[in-house]
Amino acid sequence: MTAIHPDGVTLNDYVDEALPAKERETVDAHLSTCAECRELVAGLRSVLMAVSALKPVEPPRAAWARIEKTIRSENTKTRAPRWPWLAAAAVLVLATFGGLKLAGVWRPPSPSPAAIVPASDAEAVEAELLQAEQHYQNAITGLERIARDEKGSLDPQTASTLEKNLSVVDQAISESRAALKSQPGSEPAQQSLLENFKTKIALLQDTVALINEMRKGNEAGGDSRRVTGLKQKGT
Amino acid sequence: MKQRPTPSFPSNQSTVNRPDGNASDLVARWQAGDVDAFADLYRRHAARIFALTCRMSGSTDAGEDLMQEVFLQAHRKIHGFKGDSAIGTWLYRLAINHCLDFVRSRQVKMAKATDSLDRDDATAPAAAHDSPVERIDLERAIRLLPPGCREAFVLHDVEGYEHREIAQMLGIAEGTSKSQVFKARLKLRAVLA
Repeated sequence: MTAIHPDGVTLNDYVDEALPAKERETVDAHLSTCAECRELVAGLRSVLMAVSALKPVEPPRAAWARIEKTIRSENTKTRAPRWPWLAAAAVLVLATFGGLKLAGVWRPPSPSPAAIVPASDAEAVEAELLQAEQHYQNAITGLERIARDEKGSLDPQTASTLEKNLSVVDQAISESRAALKSQPGSEPAQQSLLENFKTKIALLQDTVALINEMRKGNEAGGDSRRVTGLKQKGT
Repeated sequence: MKQRPTPSFPSNQSTVNRPDGNASDLVARWQAGDVDAFADLYRRHAARIFALTCRMSGSTDAGEDLMQEVFLQAHRKIHGFKGDSAIGTWLYRLAINHCLDFVRSRQVKMAKATDSLDRDDATAPAAAHDSPVERIDLERAIRLLPPGCREAFVLHDVEGYEHREIAQMLGIAEGTSKSQVFKARLKLRAVLA
């Protein structure tokens, strides 16, 4: 007999019972006369049977030990003492934004970030922005002074990381300023600048908090030397 | 500080058919940072995930690395688990996605596959490594399938995905998935014969 053999994918679909009824009948008819294709189909089915008997594979015992070691090490890093600096940060945030609110210059972000302030209001907004910037700058100056004076309390690697991060934020502030210069009425640019100031303050707060932690850990009675009074320095 | 005892390594008992039992309690404890609860869930699901990662990667070493990454990623993401699916399903999805990332990155890197069944003369791939009397097992034969062929085969024949789904997962045509699975079955048939 010279029947044309079904192609491999068709036989595969036949084995998977994925062929439409009519095609299946055609393949059935062919198989009844073609030993070669019957053998192929039987082979494909034997693979499926073998696969159905596959079992899950137990991982080596050492695998869990490695996972556990990694997560415990990550947990330790995550659990680095944070409460004291969180408290300090909260004080600073309150101090900074309290000062800004009292001065009546802080405004919540606009729901429409793409909004552009009308030209007639641009001058007033610019004045407000300058005032806000001044408040942020005051806070930053105070924190920077503390961080600079006390940087020796930090280990060199941490100090270097913090410095790198600060330079990134400074770069972002410069870019926001440049954007504002070219588009003085752009609210997104204003918000970007204020956000970058906030980021810088947060970073400096972390630095000061770390310094406090280092002192607490390294010196008896260190609390008496803890950095305090940031409010008066920052606002 | 109280030191929690190191959890003993999961037993080698089969983990797949174990009922999920108090899985939600374990998940809640895991989310609260309890490593012992994580260890318990690992015991239940590691074997299935390890089998998947080994088969998809084609190597025990790579499979172990992948499995560890899956569980570490799960640990980092467990807080986002809302319980919309069973924890085993969630872990399995993570594992599949991780395997697919691995496959895609390897597709970029690999121009050729050596020591695989892709060679024309490779009808008995393990013959070079085994004694003449040692019969190759299917598990090893799957790992020796050529990349591309192997992933489609594992996803279709072992994991039960449709060709349509595999096409999406691997970024190939549905017809390619079908022909790859056929090619894999032919090679495995030769091994099993």
